[in-house]
Amino acid sequence: MVYPVLKGAGYALINTPDMIMQNGTTQTTEKIVNPGSEYLKALPEHIRSYDQVVNYAPNQVYIGNMRPESLRSYGMPWHDKGAENATRFGKFGEIMPQDEFILLMKMADAFELVMIEKDFMEQAREKLSGHPLFKDEAAALPGGVEISEIEAALEQHAEAVYHGGNLVGCVKKAHDVDTNLSAHVLFENIVAKASGTLAFKHLIDKNGIDVRDVQYVIECSEEACGDMNQRGGGNFAKSIAEKCGAVNATGSDTRGFCAAPVHALIQAAALVQSGVYENVVVVAGGATAKLGMNGKDHVKKGLPVLEDVLGAFAVMVSKNDGESPIIRTDLTGRHTVGTGSSPQAVITSLVTAPLDRSGMKVTDIDKFSVEMQNPDITKPAGAGDVPEANYKMIAALSVKRQELERSQLPEFIVKHGMPGWAPTQGHIPSGVPYLGFAKEDLTCGDLNKVMIVGKGSLFLGRMTDLFDGVSVVIERNPGEASEEAGALQVESSGASQPGQPAKVRIGLTTLGSEHGIENLVAGAELAAKDNSGFEIVLIGPKTGTELEVAVADTEKEMYRKMEELLDKNSIQACVTMHYDFPIGVSTVGKVVTPGAGKEMLLATTTGTASTQRVEAMVKNALHGIIAAKATGIKSPTVGILNLDGARQAERALKELAAGGYEINFAESGRADGGAVMRGNDLLQGTADVMVTDTLTGNIMMKVFSAYTTGGSYEATGYGYGPGIGENYGRAILILSRASGAPVVANAIRYAAKLAQGNLAGVAKKEFADARKAGLDGILKSVTKDAGKAKEGSSGEASPPPKEVVTGEISGIDIMILEDAVQELWKNGIYAESGMGCTGPIVRVAEDKVMAAAEILTREKYINAE
Amino acid sequence: MDLENQNRVKNMTEKYGAENLIVLLGAAEAEAAGLAAETVTNGDPTYAGSLTGVQLGLRVYHVVEPEFKEAVDSAVYDEQIGMMEMVLDVDEIIAEMSSMREQYCKY
Repeated sequence: MVYPVLKGAGYALINTPDMIMQNGTTQTTEKIVNPGSEYLKALPEHIRSYDQVVNYAPNQVYIGNMRPESLRSYGMPWHDKGAENATRFGKFGEIMPQDEFILLMKMADAFELVMIEKDFMEQAREKLSGHPLFKDEAAALPGGVEISEIEAALEQHAEAVYHGGNLVGCVKKAHDVDTNLSAHVLFENIVAKASGTLAFKHLIDKNGIDVRDVQYVIECSEEACGDMNQRGGGNFAKSIAEKCGAVNATGSDTRGFCAAPVHALIQAAALVQSGVYENVVVVAGGATAKLGMNGKDHVKKGLPVLEDVLGAFAVMVSKNDGESPIIRTDLTGRHTVGTGSSPQAVITSLVTAPLDRSGMKVTDIDKFSVEMQNPDITKPAGAGDVPEANYKMIAALSVKRQELERSQLPEFIVKHGMPGWAPTQGHIPSGVPYLGFAKEDLTCGDLNKVMIVGKGSLFLGRMTDLFDGVSVVIERNPGEASEEAGALQVESSGASQPGQPAKVRIGLTTLGSEHGIENLVAGAELAAKDNSGFEIVLIGPKTGTELEVAVADTEKEMYRKMEELLDKNSIQACVTMHYDFPIGVSTVGKVVTPGAGKEMLLATTTGTASTQRVEAMVKNALHGIIAAKATGIKSPTVGILNLDGARQAERALKELAAGGYEINFAESGRADGGAVMRGNDLLQGTADVMVTDTLTGNIMMKVFSAYTTGGSYEATGYGYGPGIGENYGRAILILSRASGAPVVANAIRYAAKLAQGNLAGVAKKEFADARKAGLDGILKSVTKDAGKAKEGSSGEASPPPKEVVTGEISGIDIMILEDAVQELWKNGIYAESGMGCTGPIVRVAEDKVMAAAEILTREKYINAE
Repeated sequence: MDLENQNRVKNMTEKYGAENLIVLLGAAEAEAAGLAAETVTNGDPTYAGSLTGVQLGLRVYHVVEPEFKEAVDSAVYDEQIGMMEMVLDVDEIIAEMSSMREQYCKY
C-alpha cells in the first residue's frame, strides 16, 4: 500500500470588524429580540483595531509566524499581551483587513450581485494592488457605483456591506421569493467563497504548487449554496477552484458540521491512494454568522470581542513523493452510529480504536490535534479550555488502559497536546489548524506520528441527535515513494524499532476444524504468547479470548472477511482450512523430519500448480524455493522426490539452472547421491525443499504431522503452507481440519515469517528470474513430451459459449482433469477446471451438473456410484 | 438549563409526581451542574425557562457523586463514566450539588 501525503497547507484570517455587528447571529438576533439592549450599545467599544488583531498571539500562530507551544510562555489571557514580531503575512498565509476582503467578495461575485461604492472601491483597490497574490485581479476589477444605487438596492432587501461604520456596498438578492437566494444567504456564501479562495491561493503560493496540477477540490465549510429546489446543491469547491485558476480541477462539497474538514481530509487521501486523482485540495472559508458569537460574555467581562476574524484553510493531499508526511489511511477512527454518546465512547472510537488496530499505544502518538479552539475566547464564555479538556480525556483513557501513570497526566497534556489558537469558526478549529505545523514537524521536526481529530455536533441540524467525529494519523514519510517500498512500509508500521523484524498482522479463520473452534483459538493463543513481531486477528464467531476478533458467523462470511482484510492489507497473511486456489497455485508445507529433527519444506501439499505432473513438479520446485527464500533461507537446497516423472522434472530444473536461474541441488544421503531423493532422505530432511507432486506431498504432510498420534490429530509441523503461484497475491496458508493447536501456532509463525519476508515480492522476483532463464520454453517442452505419451488423445476441443459455472463435480483424478473438461466441451457443455476443498473439480453451470456427471461417468472420468 | 429540558422536567413531574423523580446530571463543571440542580429544585435562576419561579425540590445528583456510583453496576460505570471521573473536578461538583440539595431539595 502506498500512502498519500500531506503536501502543504495555507491559512488565512480576515479581520471583519463591521461584520460582527451586521452579520454575526448573536448580534442580529439581539437586534430583533432586544433592539435597544445595553449589549448592542456597548459592543462598538469592544471592537479591536486591525493592528490589535494582527498583534494577537493566537492569530500569529494561525498564519505560522509563531509555534503553538510558544503561547504557553505568554500566560493567559492573551488579548492584552500583544505578540512579538507580529506581521500581516506569515509562512502559511495572512491576516487580511476588511476593506481588501470586500474587494475579494466582489471578485468572487459571478452574477453581479455585489455592488461597491466607487470611492471606497478605488481606495481599497489601491491597497489591494500591493498584495502579492491579487495585483492583477485588483486592476481588473470594474469601477464602483454611486452610493445612491446601493441605497436603492437596500430598499429591495439587499444585505449591506459596511466598513468603518460606513455603508460601502451591498450584496443583492438573486430571487424575489426564494429564501435560499436571499441577500443574507448570498452574502454568507460569497464570504465563504472569497475567504476559501484566499486560503487556497496561499496554499498554492506557499508550497510551490502548480495550480494546474490540482485535479479535485473538496470544500468543507458549513454553508450551503443552492436554490429552493436544491437548498444545498453546491458547489463551493468548483467555484473556488475556478477563482484560483485550477483549470484541471472539478470538485464537490462535503458537510459534517465541525468534523467536515477531517472527513474531507480522509476522503482526499482515499481518492489519492486509490489512484483516482493525484492532487486533491481540501478547502474551507469562514462563517460570518459566528462572528461575535460569545460577544455578550466578552463585553460583560470587559474584554474585547475576540471573535472578530473569519478563518479559512486549504491543504493539498498528493501522491507519495517520498518526502512529505504520509496519511495513514489504515489508521482512521470514526464515531459510528452504534458508538454511543458518552465521552469515553467517543474518545475510544476516535483515538484508541484506530491505534488498537495496529497495536499502538496512545503515547505512540507524538501530538494530538483536536478542536484547537482558542481558550482566550472560550474560557470567558464559560465553555472552558476545549483542547485541554480533550487532552485530559485522552490522557485519562490512556491511564485506564494502563499505558500511563495517573501522575503523568499533566505531563502528557503538555507533551502530546498544544494550547488552542484557532478562532471559534466551527469547522476551522477542528483538527486542521495544525496541518501546516504537522508538515514541518514530520519532515524537518522531530515528531513521527500525529493524530488529527475532528468532531461535530450533528444534532444542531435536527436530523439526528447523534454526535460525530473522525480521526486520522499522519506520519513521517519513511522516504521511498516506490511501490515496493510502500508495501514494506505497511509492514514496518506499528511499534517496531528499526533493525527488528517488521510488525505484521496474521489472520486465522476459526470455523471448520474437526477439533472445534477452541483448538484453533488455543493455537492462536499459543502463538501469541511468544509474540515476536506479529499480531493475530481471529476471523470467525466471537469467543472468549483476548485476541482481536473480526466477527463472522458463517463460513461464507468468514472467507469473505478474510479476503477483504487481506485485500485491504489490514492483515498481511491468513491461516485457514481449505481454500479454493486457482489452478497454477500450490501450497508449500513445512514439516520437522523425524530422522534429524530438521525443518523441511514439502513442495507442494495442496492446490494444483499444473494438471500435468512433470510441469507441476517443476513449478512446485519454484514455489518451494520462493517459500524458502521468503522465510530467510538464502540459498535453499532442492531435492526431487523419486516419483514417476522425477527424472524429467530433474532434467527440466537442470536446464533452468543452465539458463541462469540459480538452483542449489541437494545431494541424496544415499551412497549413489544425486538430486533425486529417496525415502531415507525424506526422514533425514536432506533437502531444504523437497519437490513432489501435490497429492504425494499431501500424504507426506499428513504422515509427518500425525505419525506420533495415531492419525486423527496432526500434532507436529507447520501445516500445509502458503499458496504460491505466478501473479498470485494473497498470502493464504492452509491447515488441515485435523491440525492440532501446536500446528496452528506453528502455521501462524510460518505466516508471520513469510509476511515479514515479503512473500509476494520474493515470488515476483523468482518468477521473473526463472522466466529470464527460459522457464516458459522448458515447461512447453515438458508438456509436449507428456502429450506425445498420451495415447488416443483426440486433439483439443474448442469451448462452447462461456457460462457462469457454479456447479461442481468432484471425484476426477487430477491427471485427467483437463481431459474431462475437453470431454464436456466436445459434448457442448461449457466447463472449467478448478480446485475444490476436497480435491480437483470440474465446474459447470448449475443446471448442467447432472448431464455433465453422466457424460463423465460414461467416459470413465468418474466412478459410477 | 436548556429550555426544552426544563419543559421535559416540568411535564414529567406533573405526570409522575415530584416524589417519584430523580434528575441525573452529567455537566462537565461544578458551576453548570449547580445551575441545573438549582433549576430543578428552586427554579430557573436565569429566569428564562418554564421552571422560572417553580420550586420542584426534586432529588438531583451528578453521575460522579457516590450516591449514584454506588447504585449502578460498577463495570458499566467504569465503561461509561470512569474516564470522565478522572477528568472532572469531582470534589467541587459534589460540594456544589450537596449545597443545592441541602438548600432546596424537598425529598
